[in-house]
Amino acid sequence: MTKRYHLAVTAHFAVCVLAMVWPGALIANRIEPYVLGLPFLFFWYAAWMMVLFIGMWVAYAVRHGVRS
Amino acid sequence: MSDSVVVMGITLAYLAVVLWVGIRARGQGSSSLEGYVAGGRHIGVVILFFILGAEIFSAFSFLGGPGWAYDRGAPAFYILAYLGLAPITIWALGPKVASLGREKGYLTQGDLIADHYDSRPLGVLAGVIGVLAMVPYLTIQIAGAGLLFQAATDGLVPFWLGALLAFLVVAVYVFTSGLNGIGWTNLLQGIMMIVIAWFLGLAIPQHLYGGVGEMFQRLALEAPEYLTMPGAKAMSWGAFSTAVLVSAFGGSMWPHLFMKFYSADSGQSLRKVSVFYPLYAYLLIPLLLIGFAGILVFADAPLDRPDRVLLELVVNVSDFPAWVIGLMLSGALAAAMSTGANLAHTAAVIMARDVLGPSLLRDATDARMVFTTKVCVLVVSLVAYVCALVNPASLVTLLLGAYGMIVQLSPMVLGALFLPALTRRAVSIGALVGSLVFLICQFLVASPLGWHAGFWGIVANVAVLLLWQTRIEKIGVTRVA
Repeated sequence: MTKRYHLAVTAHFAVCVLAMVWPGALIANRIEPYVLGLPFLFFWYAAWMMVLFIGMWVAYAVRHGVRS
Repeated sequence: MSDSVVVMGITLAYLAVVLWVGIRARGQGSSSLEGYVAGGRHIGVVILFFILGAEIFSAFSFLGGPGWAYDRGAPAFYILAYLGLAPITIWALGPKVASLGREKGYLTQGDLIADHYDSRPLGVLAGVIGVLAMVPYLTIQIAGAGLLFQAATDGLVPFWLGALLAFLVVAVYVFTSGLNGIGWTNLLQGIMMIVIAWFLGLAIPQHLYGGVGEMFQRLALEAPEYLTMPGAKAMSWGAFSTAVLVSAFGGSMWPHLFMKFYSADSGQSLRKVSVFYPLYAYLLIPLLLIGFAGILVFADAPLDRPDRVLLELVVNVSDFPAWVIGLMLSGALAAAMSTGANLAHTAAVIMARDVLGPSLLRDATDARMVFTTKVCVLVVSLVAYVCALVNPASLVTLLLGAYGMIVQLSPMVLGALFLPALTRRAVSIGALVGSLVFLICQFLVASPLGWHAGFWGIVANVAVLLLWQTRIEKIGVTRVA
């Protein structure tokens, strides 16, 4: 794989890690607004799971093709 | 009383199905050691996904997860965070480990370490640490199963019998079918867990508050400190963040996870599995909701053991019919048993191959090793069962110790995979110092800043390793090739 691919994957992972620990998670440390009935901090963690998944899925598809 | 009989009947029926599926899987595997241990290296994506998944959801997820949310509130999100981040190590390490394993015939972590650093004793040491770390982990699963049975049947099935039942089933199918047995039963158990967890996670807030949204609205009014960091027990961001990092990146050093890398049929299927890994966290969300539901219910009379919050809510507070309780018990048992099966299997393989193989059974045939591994399955399960009967409570401390120790293996393993320049001495001394620092921070003095003790251990580990590697090895004192 190209250098750019690895750089992009690494950046995706780094952003996701930072979002879930100090200091990234600081910006989400509040109750309002509620999303889907969840307080915002709870929703924040649930949402990043989806971001991680989508990012990795794209990385996988680029590397191995969508159908495999 | 009749309720307890219904609960027990459903659960026994479920155990029978698990046993049947587990034993039936035997026909599909070869009978060589490689077949028994690594599923012949041809386990596909679907089964691998459930093998990896079913083992991270343990008795701790079903009992401890809600317990954290009930007791502390927001800090429980650390469990979501580390689960979501865990696939990063699978993505980065897995394919390399899988291809090395295929190329050189490795089956365990000890194989890799012993071969790369050209030192059998180091491999044996890794094996001993692995087994020692896994026995308390297995004990917690067995004790959890016993607790669940006892509470859900209202004492009809006592602790010792419940623990015994669940683990006889596990020992029998791991004994007869090896990793194939684990794969098929985990498929079943994984589905069971997901359905039960979501059902309870939505039903309990609905029943007690009229919905999840309503529950959080009331919490925001009456106990808002639970909904944001630092939570009700004031967990600092430093403690939270280091716990997430150590668990997410150190967790892959657990031998039972590491060994599954070898059983993948390709690096590609490992990457495919890791893609779906963050979705496992969505199984934990309903369990956390249950924990949050307990906060106001038990506000006046707090539970002395937060781990029991799910059981109390299901069995005593919500008026669920007996069959729902029976299914809840089956789902939670599924979590305990699937993790237990993996642990028993891995600990037995390590004991036979890394510890006994190079010492007592040096010239054993392949058939003999398969047999030894099977006997070890029974021995390990029995030891854990006895530990569970003797003293289940203090083992939580032991497990914390085990976790911090296992993490100290990571520089050694990373060195073997990616950094061939690292020497045996540097990694050994790093691991030794790291373990010591961890033990001191965990058990003797308060961990600096209140951060995770394993984090300080790994900092010391890497620092000593680098110092040794760059200073002492450079001077050229007794460099052993």
